[in-house]
Amino acid sequence: MLRPLLLIAVILALGLSVLGADYAAGQATLVATYAIAGLGLVIIVGQAGQITLGQGALVALGAYAETLLAMRGVPPVLSVPAAVALGAAGGALASLPARRLGGLYFAMSTLAFALIVEEMLVRWTSLTRGGAGLSVPTLAWGGMRVDTPLAQMLVSLAALMLAWLACRRLLAGRSGRAWRAVREDEIAAAEACGIDVAATKLRAFVLGGALAGLAGALYAHWIGFISPEQFGLMFSFELLMLVFIGGARHLSGALWGALVIVSLPQLIALLRDVLPGEWSRSAGLETVLFGAVIVAMVLLRPQGLASASGGAQASVRKGTED
Amino acid sequence: MLSLIQVLTSGIAIGCVYGLVALSFVLIYKATETVSFMQGELLMVGAFAAVALNTGAGWPLWLAAVVAVAGLALLGAVLERFALRRAIGQPHLVAVLLTFGLGMMLRGGVTSVPAASHDIYRLPFADSVLQIGALALSLSHVLVIVATVVLAGVLAIFFRYTRAGLALRACSENARVAALMGVPVASMHTLAWALGAALAAVAGLLLAPITFIHLNMGLIALKAFPAAVLGGLTSLPGALVGGVFLGVAESLAGLVLPEGVKDVVPYVLLMLALLLFPDGMAAGWRRRR
Repeated sequence: MLRPLLLIAVILALGLSVLGADYAAGQATLVATYAIAGLGLVIIVGQAGQITLGQGALVALGAYAETLLAMRGVPPVLSVPAAVALGAAGGALASLPARRLGGLYFAMSTLAFALIVEEMLVRWTSLTRGGAGLSVPTLAWGGMRVDTPLAQMLVSLAALMLAWLACRRLLAGRSGRAWRAVREDEIAAAEACGIDVAATKLRAFVLGGALAGLAGALYAHWIGFISPEQFGLMFSFELLMLVFIGGARHLSGALWGALVIVSLPQLIALLRDVLPGEWSRSAGLETVLFGAVIVAMVLLRPQGLASASGGAQASVRKGTED
Repeated sequence: MLSLIQVLTSGIAIGCVYGLVALSFVLIYKATETVSFMQGELLMVGAFAAVALNTGAGWPLWLAAVVAVAGLALLGAVLERFALRRAIGQPHLVAVLLTFGLGMMLRGGVTSVPAASHDIYRLPFADSVLQIGALALSLSHVLVIVATVVLAGVLAIFFRYTRAGLALRACSENARVAALMGVPVASMHTLAWALGAALAAVAGLLLAPITFIHLNMGLIALKAFPAAVLGGLTSLPGALVGGVFLGVAESLAGLVLPEGVKDVVPYVLLMLALLLFPDGMAAGWRRRR
């Protein structure tokens, strides 16, 4: 927990000196928001050992719920919990068809769920305005308006802290042990330890969905405009890549991964300036590089960054609490 | 009645393409326990390779098609040798991300070719119509169905009567026992990927006269997953049947249900199938028999 926070502080200081305060705060906000969604995936993928391809759709549910409620003047004390609840309900629904099966069937049912949600957001134009998208009002409560990058960063970091503490508590307790048991060996978990495997998986998906909903609500406010294509299958894969790069076994993996995912487009843009003529202009370069990063990560560092940075030993010492 | 037959034929034709992609997916999954999320990209690359050889290099269409399919088989084998074999024995997530990343590299590579990203292409004979009495069928639809039937026959012969086919089957039933019987399991994995990539390329070529050849044509592979699951995930004939079933269901939904619902039908069916037959549809049928 301390190391990534320290790292964030260093990067923030660097960012402040090079890019200006507002830009750095904006980037930190994005990192925190992505990390919240990533925490959900750490639970589902890293702890409970399930694959989900629908996390992006759950973020979308949170974003749309928050936007539609905020547009009607509902205060955030009500609208954010609603977004979280919708995300959790979505997570439960997506995992329901494959409750009794593992692995690939979860991937399939969450994939189907994600595509249904995306199609729904495009087609239900009376509510979502379809592909035209919705512009999101500023996060405001009473007289307070969160409209400066600094304020947005503080809100996001506070939300991340709360989510992190909640996850940490859960992982250290009964739920966490059950998830890890299911991850290691479903049959042994059920028969030797009396764990209800289906309920345990469901709990992971509900929590993951809730975190995705929270991330979606925040994301919508910071970006200021949402449309279905922001939350397509590509986004789900980006989030999956986030936890994989960061290291799915540790909560800090979500933060590391978010850092990489948010800074990757910037790095690619920098690279574009350096590369000679013809290549830098081609439209496919970004896709190729993004794909290459995934492939390289999978082949070269399959455990993720979090475990590479000494997190593994630390977690052995402290029990797998973070 | 006539319009129903026409809708059914077009549904079967598109379903054949779903089925072929599902077939390639199941083939790879059975042999290597790897889930390929790059079948759509392989399909797209295969179609573009044929277009490049046909219109770009001026080769006759049949030669371009054969070379494109063979080239994709080679690409599949090379990718397996250098990257994909690392995913064997790892959690499913590794293969999912690896194939997705490779797929992105392929798509980005094609996007980088200026001619590919600016135009959409059609292969010749797309617009011809086959007239049987009052019934007008699109020649391309009939062609796709015939080609799929022929291909399924060839594959059945390959799996039943050739050494390589038998070895591949043995390998996907039980890799350990197959290895003990002297089957070179590693080369069978390479063969499975080569076949899978070639099948995707064939699907791309068959899709070309129905839709167009463009960068996002690979999205059709997303419908191959429901088709494969409906077919039982590990059954090769099931994948084809699942694909055709989906194609027909989708076309009928387009006829009956309101605009836009059609595209969701495969996924709703998939969710239902997973709910009702948690062991896969094939297991459901087997139990009932």
